[in-house]
Amino acid sequence: MLSILGQKSQFCDGVSRRGFLKIGGLSFGAGGFTLADLMRAEAVAGKSHSHKAVINVFLGGGPPHQDMWEIKTDAPSEVRGEFKPIKTNVPGIEICEVFPQLASMMDKAAVIRSVVGCAGGHEAHQCLTGWNKNDLKTIGGRPAIGSAVSKLFGPVDASVPPNIGLAKPTKHVPWSDSGHPGFLGAAYSPFKPDGPGMKNMTLNGGVTMDRLSDRRKLLKNIDSMRRDIDITGAMEGMDVFGQRALDVLTSSRLLDALDLSKEDPKVVERYGDGKPYQYQYDGAPTCNEQLLMARRLIEAGVRVVSLSYGRWDSHSANFDLVRDHGGKLDQCLSALIEDLEQRGMLDDVTIVVWGEFGRTPKINDKAGRDHWNKVSCAYLAGGGMRTGQAIGSTNRLGEEAAERPVHVQEIMATLYHNLGIDTATVTIPDPTGRPQYLVDREPVGELI
Amino acid sequence: MNAVPFLRVPFLHRPDARWLAALIGAMLCFTSLPAVEPEGTTDGLPIGPTLRFNNINSANGFTLSGLDARLQLVVSLEAAGQLVSDATHQLIYSVDPPVIAEVIDGMVVPLADGEAIVVARHESGLSAELKLTVKHTGNEALISFPGRVVPIFTKLGCNSGGCHGKLAGQNGFKLSLLGFEPQEDYDHLVRESRGRRLSPAAPVQSLLLQKAVNSSPHGGGQRLDLDSHEYRILARWVSQGMPYSKDDEPSVVSIEVIPQHRRLNAESSQQLAVLANYSDGSSEDVTRAALYESNDSEMADCNEKGLVNLKDLVGDVAVMARYQGHVTVFRADIPVSESSVTADSFPKELDNPVDQHVFAKLQSLGIPPSPRCDDATFLRRVTLDIAGRTPTQAETTGFRADTSGDKRERLVDRLLASEDYADYFAGKWNTILRNRREGGGLKFANVAFHQWIRESIATNKPYDQFVREIVAASGSVASHPPVVWYQQVSDTNQRIEDATQLFLGQRIQCARCHHHPYEKWSQSDYAQLSAFFTSVSKKNGRDPLEPAVFAKLGSSSAKHPKTGQTLKPAGLDAAEVVIGARDDPRSHLADWMTNSDNPFFAKALANRYWKHFMGRGLVEPEDDLRVTNPPSNPELLDGLAKAFVDSGHDLRALIRLITNSRSYQSDSDALRENIGDKRSYSRFYPKRLQAEVLLDAIDRLTLTPTSFAGMPPGSRAVALPDTGFSSYFLTVFGRPESTTACECERSQEANLSQSLHLLNSEEIQGKLSSDSGRAAQLAADKSRSDEEKLRELYSIAFSRDPVDRELKATLTYVAGKENRREAFEDVLWSLINSKEFLFNH
Repeated sequence: MLSILGQKSQFCDGVSRRGFLKIGGLSFGAGGFTLADLMRAEAVAGKSHSHKAVINVFLGGGPPHQDMWEIKTDAPSEVRGEFKPIKTNVPGIEICEVFPQLASMMDKAAVIRSVVGCAGGHEAHQCLTGWNKNDLKTIGGRPAIGSAVSKLFGPVDASVPPNIGLAKPTKHVPWSDSGHPGFLGAAYSPFKPDGPGMKNMTLNGGVTMDRLSDRRKLLKNIDSMRRDIDITGAMEGMDVFGQRALDVLTSSRLLDALDLSKEDPKVVERYGDGKPYQYQYDGAPTCNEQLLMARRLIEAGVRVVSLSYGRWDSHSANFDLVRDHGGKLDQCLSALIEDLEQRGMLDDVTIVVWGEFGRTPKINDKAGRDHWNKVSCAYLAGGGMRTGQAIGSTNRLGEEAAERPVHVQEIMATLYHNLGIDTATVTIPDPTGRPQYLVDREPVGELI
Repeated sequence: MNAVPFLRVPFLHRPDARWLAALIGAMLCFTSLPAVEPEGTTDGLPIGPTLRFNNINSANGFTLSGLDARLQLVVSLEAAGQLVSDATHQLIYSVDPPVIAEVIDGMVVPLADGEAIVVARHESGLSAELKLTVKHTGNEALISFPGRVVPIFTKLGCNSGGCHGKLAGQNGFKLSLLGFEPQEDYDHLVRESRGRRLSPAAPVQSLLLQKAVNSSPHGGGQRLDLDSHEYRILARWVSQGMPYSKDDEPSVVSIEVIPQHRRLNAESSQQLAVLANYSDGSSEDVTRAALYESNDSEMADCNEKGLVNLKDLVGDVAVMARYQGHVTVFRADIPVSESSVTADSFPKELDNPVDQHVFAKLQSLGIPPSPRCDDATFLRRVTLDIAGRTPTQAETTGFRADTSGDKRERLVDRLLASEDYADYFAGKWNTILRNRREGGGLKFANVAFHQWIRESIATNKPYDQFVREIVAASGSVASHPPVVWYQQVSDTNQRIEDATQLFLGQRIQCARCHHHPYEKWSQSDYAQLSAFFTSVSKKNGRDPLEPAVFAKLGSSSAKHPKTGQTLKPAGLDAAEVVIGARDDPRSHLADWMTNSDNPFFAKALANRYWKHFMGRGLVEPEDDLRVTNPPSNPELLDGLAKAFVDSGHDLRALIRLITNSRSYQSDSDALRENIGDKRSYSRFYPKRLQAEVLLDAIDRLTLTPTSFAGMPPGSRAVALPDTGFSSYFLTVFGRPESTTACECERSQEANLSQSLHLLNSEEIQGKLSSDSGRAAQLAADKSRSDEEKLRELYSIAFSRDPVDRELKATLTYVAGKENRREAFEDVLWSLINSKEFLFNH
């Protein structure tokens, strides 16, 4: 065991080969903190629930913005749809009737009714990175927020990956994207706890931890190939993952977090199971448990959890779909907010719930709404933000942002801000050595 | 004027301009110059810095016709021993007489009819002159909608996919994507919305213009300045009553960029000029109307005025210019500054054309090559690359003992003749030909098609014939297995798209619905390709010996999806094909594809195979050979393709050419000077072993063959007839599912699941600890010393001897363990998990 603990500090060495990053603009005071410093600081500070985290809930397919957080009561019937607004516990803010529980805790959340800048593709990429897919494509593309944060902060607990993707595989693949590492390279991919790989997270075949540590020492002695000759970066990636794998094996924190049978059944029930799965087709199921799992993972040390909830591509039967998905989302999202608050985590954990674009104002002949990337919406909670507000609005027909258009990147900047990253100063060097800002825009001023 | 090619200028001593020290004269040039200027000096002329107009191809200077005409000047500064540099924006321009024209930001703008001289002066005293004729400024020409207005929409992004160009339009106003359907656009603009978008009586009140300058709120914001050339053109077009075009209006037939290619210093800039050539033989400068895009924004970017700004990186970069559906590319090479590399840095007497081109490029960039790799490295490298396996002990011993000078060539020949080569490359083709089972067990069709591919490789069937037999496949699976491709790729569109991507490196998908934005392919081109396939039919559920795929003989056609026009079959950029009454249309497609003149066929294959061996395609991705995605070394790709065609499409000969080259045999270890090189092949780029190869290598090292359901014992993973065999190992290490024709489906990325599997899985531990496995055997063997055993393990795993440090570490480890079998298991574990094992290097 001792040598395994010895290996832990070697993790830092493993990272140092990639070159420590100076994160001068962080709130740690003077500049010149290296990643290793930061990790050590975090380790000293204790790592219980105090770290900042993000739960990124992607509503794949594009939720109808006019049927979520801003009901267009003044619009003619071919636009308005069948939902009525209901009052919330914040005077003056009304949201869709399918979200009664969220309405009762509006003071802990903020809705943005005028999200703009959606690229228009059926994919999660923008909600994961803030950028269009083609940006920096030749060097691998922009990293997802989870990957960027992994790079900047490393893990909270060495045995728990900082960036986890829970999205179940979908037939329309871009909806189950959990975030690509882009130019950061494979080492910063989100960890996906898929079925067959789970077994590998505990020691197999009668090998003891001592023996595994002996093996690692031997490997270290003979594995001397130069890593920087690999233009794909896979060698360094394998080193980082090798260390991470060992961390997973020496601790069961990750496995425990993923195991909902270890949770209070009452809490499990409060989140619900989102079943029966309806309107799923080629998209994600409405897995309410994943929001609970996200909370458990963050408690275990995860910084960013990305998941894909439901299939909101309502070209037909829009209202039935929103009633189904919305009702289930109301249950698990309200449970999550409540749960985080009870555990004293709500100020540290930012929840964002959004999709790739909004939907057409005019209802089509199949009672559906089609793609509409001129305006979209987002729901945010926690993260120490100024909640209890509705930001922006759309015009009478819900066609475009009328007041306070909020760009997708402003929301992404807000997430980074809530994680303690100053997007105006922090950069990550890309493979060419060029410093890259995480996003181009400022956080949403109303929220921070 | 054109009789005065040179102008002497006074000597100037400027200490801050070192290159000027040798100044003796300047060249003033209006004589006929090629579009791409020669570098260095002109024959017999005194060597000295010269200033030169690059974009004048007329002996009589340049003529601007009408007030809307423009000329972007491109002026280069050339000096002995220096790279040509762009001086366009470092000059002071004057026009004599000044009433004829003015020069703004390097662009000539006509003012009045007449002749004038444009003089460009450099601060050094150098100058150059250009004769200019301005005509037809008096009579205002009708503004053509497709010729003048649409390009403005394209330039401003109005008709882009994110705005009015998307299928549904934007805010009720729709334009065709990138302006490929000007007649539709005209109708939308002029006729829709009761004509309120345009107001000829008061042009500036037109919604079109108000939106463009954002005086009427515009979702897209302000796109134009009131005081701009484009605004004035739009306003004038409206005031003219919105003419569409003259009946005999010439159309653009090609565009060219000036210069086409330059070697430039890092962090310098280069002004481009774009010239459009018209069907009536005329040409005009369209620099400001064209769109630009760099293929690598980390190396260079280009602004809307055609000014390329290079960053601080060394290598090559391409900037695409696009105008009216035509595309062309400017290429820049950026060499290492003050490199110590000379001709002596390179091996001598290279007769392999691969090396000539690779080293020419390296030399021009100032990057030295790594030394030649040693024999052990070469043996493992080439065996993995050709045969998809690690060398056997016998091979390692034999190769080491062989002292002949041609042993590497003979090794290549031996591997190419082996069954393993056929297995490995059959797998490669099998995957992208989508030989995929429909779930459940292995089907006869899968096995038959795989077997056919394997046989084609084993007999070295000429590649053109291989492709022909697939593309024109007819009959039953039993009689002609490649019909399986038609069964797997089941609709006409997919067949066109797969065939062009696989065999021609052309991604034509875009042209199914609209003109390809980065290529010249139109919907007509797509329809004409599809015409080759429209008469293909399938029969199902009959006697297995009856034809299942067949084509109706005789002429075939396809309809243009927009116009409904019936189109005859034709290859890309090729004439319509006349199909005889007894011909299968697809045999004509195969004729066109495999013809030695086909511009795509041989290059696509050469690039695919180059990437297989060298780790990085000359074009990336390897099956996207767009004009606008040029190869990093075009001469090399041309040379490979030519050699391939000349050999009669001999795949083995191509592999020989590559693997016998000094470039392929460079060491993977980097020199200080070439560690930054990622695309010029100054060293061998290590590649991860792909899933199947890695599993076989582990099996061989541990002596525990993996079994695959339905396959005989001892079947290697690389030899499996399809990718449907259930294996967590293969899945987690990135085996593709054969759902696309793209090699990119195979993931070579590292992830945590892979590490967990290699470090700690029942599967791997089972192999290490198997009773019949290597560790058990070594532990039980009393006849040999530990050192002998460890040397053997190194030989099997890495095809080399351990170095002292490694031998000591492993010996100490084994000696320190009571349980000898476990000790050997642990050594094996460490070997498998080392990078040297996981990579081909």
